[in-house]
Amino acid sequence: MPNTGTTSPNTGNDGYYDRDEGLAIQDVTFRYGTNIVLQNLCLSITPGTFTVLLGSSGCGKTTLLRLIAGHLQPQHGSIHLAGRDLTHLPAEQRNIGMVYQNYALFPHLDARANVAFGLEMRRLPRSEITSRVEAILDRVGLPAEARGRKPEALSGGQQQRVALARALVIEPDLLLLDEPLAHLDRQLREQMRQELRTGITTLMVTHDPDDALALADQVGVMEAGRLVQWGAPREVYERPIHARVARLLGAVNLLPGGVLVRPERVRLVPGDQPVTQVQYRGSRALVQVAGILAEVDASTAPQVGQRVGLDIPEAACWHMPGEQE
Amino acid sequence: MRTFPAWLMLTLFSLGPLALLLRISMYKPGQGRGFYMPGTWTVQNYIDLARDAVLPGILGFTLGAALGMTLLTMVVAYPLALWVHNLPTRQRPVALGLIVLPKLCNVLAVLFGLRLLIPRGLLGVLIAEVYLLVPYAVVLLVAWLKRIDLALHEAARGLGASPWQIFWRVTWPLSRPGLMAATQLTLVWALAALLGPLLFGDAEQTTLAVEVQRQATEYHRWPRAAALAVLLLAVIAVPILLVPRGREAT
Repeated sequence: MPNTGTTSPNTGNDGYYDRDEGLAIQDVTFRYGTNIVLQNLCLSITPGTFTVLLGSSGCGKTTLLRLIAGHLQPQHGSIHLAGRDLTHLPAEQRNIGMVYQNYALFPHLDARANVAFGLEMRRLPRSEITSRVEAILDRVGLPAEARGRKPEALSGGQQQRVALARALVIEPDLLLLDEPLAHLDRQLREQMRQELRTGITTLMVTHDPDDALALADQVGVMEAGRLVQWGAPREVYERPIHARVARLLGAVNLLPGGVLVRPERVRLVPGDQPVTQVQYRGSRALVQVAGILAEVDASTAPQVGQRVGLDIPEAACWHMPGEQE
Repeated sequence: MRTFPAWLMLTLFSLGPLALLLRISMYKPGQGRGFYMPGTWTVQNYIDLARDAVLPGILGFTLGAALGMTLLTMVVAYPLALWVHNLPTRQRPVALGLIVLPKLCNVLAVLFGLRLLIPRGLLGVLIAEVYLLVPYAVVLLVAWLKRIDLALHEAARGLGASPWQIFWRVTWPLSRPGLMAATQLTLVWALAALLGPLLFGDAEQTTLAVEVQRQATEYHRWPRAAALAVLLLAVIAVPILLVPRGREAT
């Protein structure tokens, strides 16, 4: 996993903005009526990296994408991309590719025409449009026989590929992905995940921790319009600042004093505590003993009622700085 | 027997009156006031219509005026519907309410009011009918436009399309089936235009519906009026059957 993201203080990476390259969002506030959707948000993304913003619905992550794309205007703050100030630039001049949650493919155009749309807006010669469309459809792996079909005749995965191709073909400075995997089944999801890593600077929003941890160079966690944590996936997973972030990323054991132990770090040893629950998950199993969850190999999982002991190594405990006793 | 009430309604309010209309149209001229009188079947009324010297003019005006009314109605209604559609969500019902407002007023009161403002004659007939038809067309078009996903506009903009390009490349092609459906319905209404020609037209602006009304209530020639009404129905059936229905958009 190419987790190369630099780690920085938990409150986000304010303080340093590289305005010549990448994406720099500085102190952006967006209000809808009296409702503050985003508050003093700062974020900067290194060119060529893949960033995932993780948050539950209503945390403002989709609003942030629409601000960056230019469909909304922030009341305060600035947005820079590749050295350009985008803050007041119309959406059609920003050169940002976006994949929508429902793909937003043009229903009256076939796959090729959907992909060609952005190139036609740029008034490129017909021959160049044709060759670039075919090349990008090759790259996202849309079968030749599907390229003449309208979106309604394409499968979910094919629609996703067309939406991605349409966003990539304009050679955007930034790729925005709004829950692009939400409508795909599990198998397709895992296959498409890697195809979303295109080498273009990418910002993806999702509520799915698996997508975030698997894809991201750096993860931002959003909560109620604020960026509450920022870092490499591993850091955010293992060292969340508080319990809400911890839960957003996976199963947790919360011990007194604001201590987090992930279930996979808990070991089962011989002992006399009864197992109260076993949740079978294929290769792994979640075992509950005395209110503590332990994730173990399914083949070695005990039965309910069986007596075991718990071993929680000191190294597995993380004192969450945002949790006070 | 879940379909029974539907059939009952259809028979009671549609097929029954239609059968009665056909029956009356086959009474001898000068007979029949809607009640059954045995033994007087004839197609004489239709033969009379076919030989009528005035009828082709009436028919021609009905068709020409209906096409004109429909065209003008759509030219007014489509931009109006786009305007309503692009308003902020909260203002939309207000604007739509204002457009539909004349429909809440008695149609005769509206038209007699219009007579103070617009001239009589062909222009008056067209203006009056367009005035009556536009609200229906706008409501139909706005309902259709609402089905177009707003994300498509955002997607087009993000790909570099200007507002005009968004209109021509996205909004227009996606609203065309709705425009067809609204045009078809407006044409059907316009073919049956009665009040505009009646109140604003002179002898030259007589539509079939006006002639039906005149024969029935002024000359009390019910069989002839009924035969004319059947002819009007046949004329209206043409756009309903021939114009393809607006295809479902996704």
